[in-house]
Amino acid sequence: MMSLSRLMSRAPAPVFPAIGPGRQADVERLLSRSGLRAAATPRDAAILLVAGDIPGTAAAPLARVHDQIPRPRVTVSWGHDEPDAIAARIAEAWREVCAGGEGEGDRLPDEPPNKWKGVGPNGQGGKGMMGGVPYGRPMAMTGPDIRDGLQLDRYTARFGPFAPMLPPGLVLEVTLQGDVICDVTVETQPFAQPADADAPDLCAARMLRLLGLAGPADRATAGKKPRGVWMRGAVPGGLGSVDGAGDARDRLSRWLSGTPVTASVPDIPALLKGAEWSEAMLILASLPPSAILRACQTPEAA
Amino acid sequence: MLTFGIILGWAVLSVLFALAVLPKAHATAPQAMPFLGGGTPDTHAWQRFHFRPYTMSLLFVAFEMEMMFMYPWAVVFVEEGIKALAEMGMFLTILSVGILYGWREGIFRWE
Repeated sequence: MMSLSRLMSRAPAPVFPAIGPGRQADVERLLSRSGLRAAATPRDAAILLVAGDIPGTAAAPLARVHDQIPRPRVTVSWGHDEPDAIAARIAEAWREVCAGGEGEGDRLPDEPPNKWKGVGPNGQGGKGMMGGVPYGRPMAMTGPDIRDGLQLDRYTARFGPFAPMLPPGLVLEVTLQGDVICDVTVETQPFAQPADADAPDLCAARMLRLLGLAGPADRATAGKKPRGVWMRGAVPGGLGSVDGAGDARDRLSRWLSGTPVTASVPDIPALLKGAEWSEAMLILASLPPSAILRACQTPEAA
Repeated sequence: MLTFGIILGWAVLSVLFALAVLPKAHATAPQAMPFLGGGTPDTHAWQRFHFRPYTMSLLFVAFEMEMMFMYPWAVVFVEEGIKALAEMGMFLTILSVGILYGWREGIFRWE
């Protein structure tokens, strides 16, 4: 058993980053190091990396993300230390987790958000298929599909501020039917990031990571050639066209050749409405973070 | 007796295996929530959505069944000759009309 945990601690440490204002580029460069692995979800992680000062409005979401990391878990806060020092602290925390440490307890109470109730004696039943409140949440109600008007369930949820596919801090309230986005509103604008978050290599790496090309993404962040075969072909043509900055594929090509992209995005919701989820995330990743922040800051035209 | 023993042995082994891989950790309420990057959902995640390849998969199943009919037909064809070929030709023609109808209705369009 002892040797098994030692073998495990030699694997890259799975880190889920909660990125605060101004720390996006630092965290992305840190997680492209060889001993660390950016986990796609908290379930895949053992270490929560909290970078920078998380504003009070994001404290509750941070607690939810913290509790979704399976036990044993460790939180590492990154204030103003050097990246090397943080990498060493993460490695130490990972060894501790692998050795079977107790880890941290939950921050939120172990209670469903509402009582599981329906008309039946066991909490079951209600109107049609929409009965009851299973696991404390009501069932989705139907609405017309935006493509062909078929009556289907609409799922509304807030994504962010620590969703790895969105810019840090951005909270979108999205209404989905299956994977089609019916409605989007910007709840909270992304955290301000310094200009180095717009660096071409980081922007290209974000898109490559979404496309499942983690290896080329890490190599791009480390300043090497990404060494992928026809990577721009993985992005569908004509996706997320913006005046003066081409479509998502053009922007990826420019970033891969080391050219920064400046885009002025008119309206984020208009860009995402009607797209499938995967397309919408690719569109957001294909815009520089500063452009998304500017689009969220300008008051939306009614 | 030996057969009975093997069946019983396998049953016991599979139950033991199931018990061994049974999840031990109890998922807390925050962990049972879908991961939304710290966000919250309004409703339960169980929902009915538009399964886009549905019509295409129905068409696939229809032609899969047609291929299954062709195996016994191959035996009959050896005995009956040209008559069986004509019968199968009629059957395939009717099915192909179905494809043309579906095509006109737009079932091959991804939307």
